[in-house]
Amino acid sequence: MDFRFSEDQLALAESVREFLADTHGPQVLRHLDKDGPRDPNIWQGLVDMGLTGLMVPEEFGGLGLGLVEAALIAAECGRACLAEPLVDTAFVAVPWLLAKGETGQLAAILAGACRVPLPHAINPWVADGDGAQLKSVDPLRILTKGTGGDDPHLLDLAALMSAAQLVGLADAMLAQAIEYAKIRTQFGQPIGAFQGLKHQLASCAVAIEFAKPVVWRAAQALQDEVPTRSIHVSHAKVAATDAATLTAETAIQVHGAMGYTYEVDLHFWMKRTWALSGAWGSRAFHLNRIDNAVLGDMLELGPQATFA
Amino acid sequence: MHLHYTPEQRAFRAEVRAWMKRHVPTEPLITLECREGYDQHVEWERTLAAGNWGMVTWPEEFGGRGLDLIQWLIFEEEYFRAGAPNRANQNGIFLLGPTIMEFGTEEQKQRFLTPMAKGEVVWAQAWSEPGAGSDMAAISSKAVRDGNQYVINGQKTWSSRAAFADWGFGIFRTDPDSKRHKGLTFILFDLNTPGITRRPIRQLHGETGFAELFFDDVRVPVENCLAGEGEGWNVAMATAGFERGLMLRSPGRFQATARRLIELYRRHQAEAAPSAREAVLQAWMAAQAYAYNTYSVAAKIIAGGKIGAEASLNKIFWSELDRSMHRTAMQLLGACAELKTFDDGSVNQWLEGYIFSLSGPIYAGSNEVQRNITAERLLGLPRVGAG
Repeated sequence: MDFRFSEDQLALAESVREFLADTHGPQVLRHLDKDGPRDPNIWQGLVDMGLTGLMVPEEFGGLGLGLVEAALIAAECGRACLAEPLVDTAFVAVPWLLAKGETGQLAAILAGACRVPLPHAINPWVADGDGAQLKSVDPLRILTKGTGGDDPHLLDLAALMSAAQLVGLADAMLAQAIEYAKIRTQFGQPIGAFQGLKHQLASCAVAIEFAKPVVWRAAQALQDEVPTRSIHVSHAKVAATDAATLTAETAIQVHGAMGYTYEVDLHFWMKRTWALSGAWGSRAFHLNRIDNAVLGDMLELGPQATFA
Repeated sequence: MHLHYTPEQRAFRAEVRAWMKRHVPTEPLITLECREGYDQHVEWERTLAAGNWGMVTWPEEFGGRGLDLIQWLIFEEEYFRAGAPNRANQNGIFLLGPTIMEFGTEEQKQRFLTPMAKGEVVWAQAWSEPGAGSDMAAISSKAVRDGNQYVINGQKTWSSRAAFADWGFGIFRTDPDSKRHKGLTFILFDLNTPGITRRPIRQLHGETGFAELFFDDVRVPVENCLAGEGEGWNVAMATAGFERGLMLRSPGRFQATARRLIELYRRHQAEAAPSAREAVLQAWMAAQAYAYNTYSVAAKIIAGGKIGAEASLNKIFWSELDRSMHRTAMQLLGACAELKTFDDGSVNQWLEGYIFSLSGPIYAGSNEVQRNITAERLLGLPRVGAG
């Protein structure tokens, strides 16, 4: 029993965080919003970092890492509000294809030559697919009409990675609100000195602090293929959605009227939060899965079952 | 990350479960906030001590088992699963014990820890004063050095367990010219020392769990001072860290409450509001999240890390979770919620629990103070007005 990331895992996440901070800041989001949401140079940068091959087995030239590492990096993608479909292709499609024993596309994915759209019955759209476009509130998402089958493993993988991105988004929005609260002065002092703001921001920190371990727990459960993995994934999606939603609403409130402008960067992160909150199973869908398990007597309760 | 118990940990769980099954009283004890209930709870402390389950994380030389934090979490999970009584010696086990181990002399460790582990001496804490609640640095009770004694004068309040306990610990101003955090000293005292008057405070439910303490020329030997004169604030902060941090409220407690809430919901499902159903699911999720978080903090501590201001996040989370779970139970009970005993003669534990849960966001540093600490020390927001 050791609920910790290894030094290697943390170092990997740190390097991705630094890379995205350097190459994918708010000015890049604005460029993508203006000039089109996909940029081959950004994608190539992710490929060069080895991220498309993160979960590709070593025998196929990848890093052969697991869902725990992928979830950590998905959180970094959320933090950077990454627009490129790295998470869908490298952290959802790859483990899904591997689970099905389909290895044909792996080399192309690793090389960055293939992005895998993921149609599923849970969503009335396909992200980064081909066909008639739908307009998302998030200007950096490309959605097309379409739906797919109801593969439960695909749903679990994608819901987990949405949850991981949501905790990263929440971290970033909290950081933006804190920075603004430190520099904006009113009544002769930084507004962050007022308890009215401090307590709201502290509540966001609490929500994020207690959502993250749920996401990591779900990643490990899916990685270990434990029988209760879907419940853990649903718990992660609900906890991450709630933490990110609270943080988004608090962050705009802290920014005041400035938060309502296009000029302040926050809206990119808020819009991604709204999008991912409903994607891959709404709050109601996931709450219902937990309901069936917990109240429907489908889940062993008791301390011996916490990590079963 | 490895989220499976070892065979040894599983065997340990089975051992605790079996012991609890044999020893936990079948009838719930009377509340420990009255004389009779207190005596029952002290008796339970001795039963635990006889089984060597009193202070499981303490080193064996002081009457503990030297368990690591994961074993401690398992112990606590089984303790609450079994519905075992609240700990009369909570203050000693989780606050003073670790503080003495960190700051005490060898002589102090020998003198105080073993009787605590055996359940022979029950400790009360004496932090707050009428003018020093959330603002603890405003303490004004004085301890003046006179030869090899301190002479204590002043008043402490909200002193939990003090109505019936044997010994107390608190901080006192030893430097009369000092201000705020300086010049304070951590002192241990026998509550039966001449000059100490205990005045039990009647709580809102009518019982007397905590007390006011009046000190009138109370003489305490200087060897009862912990970590040296003037070090009181640092010692107290370390103690407060234990209190808010990992050890005061382990996840097993809230997971057990969540399970009882699920059972209660099942019995009242027919008339329950849809919002109650979601609240029950939220309770289960939050208690699980608290467990995951605690296991991750425990893993960090085992690896040599420390918890600092993060402890404030914990305290906010468990105290508000506990209140919300009990509120949900009260809603589910409907017209029966107000009954102190039900038709079948059983005590309404949910009512008692709800009333107690209202103190959670207040004691051990109010949640407003915890949110300030979170905002200032973890989030880096500017401090204003604090000394």
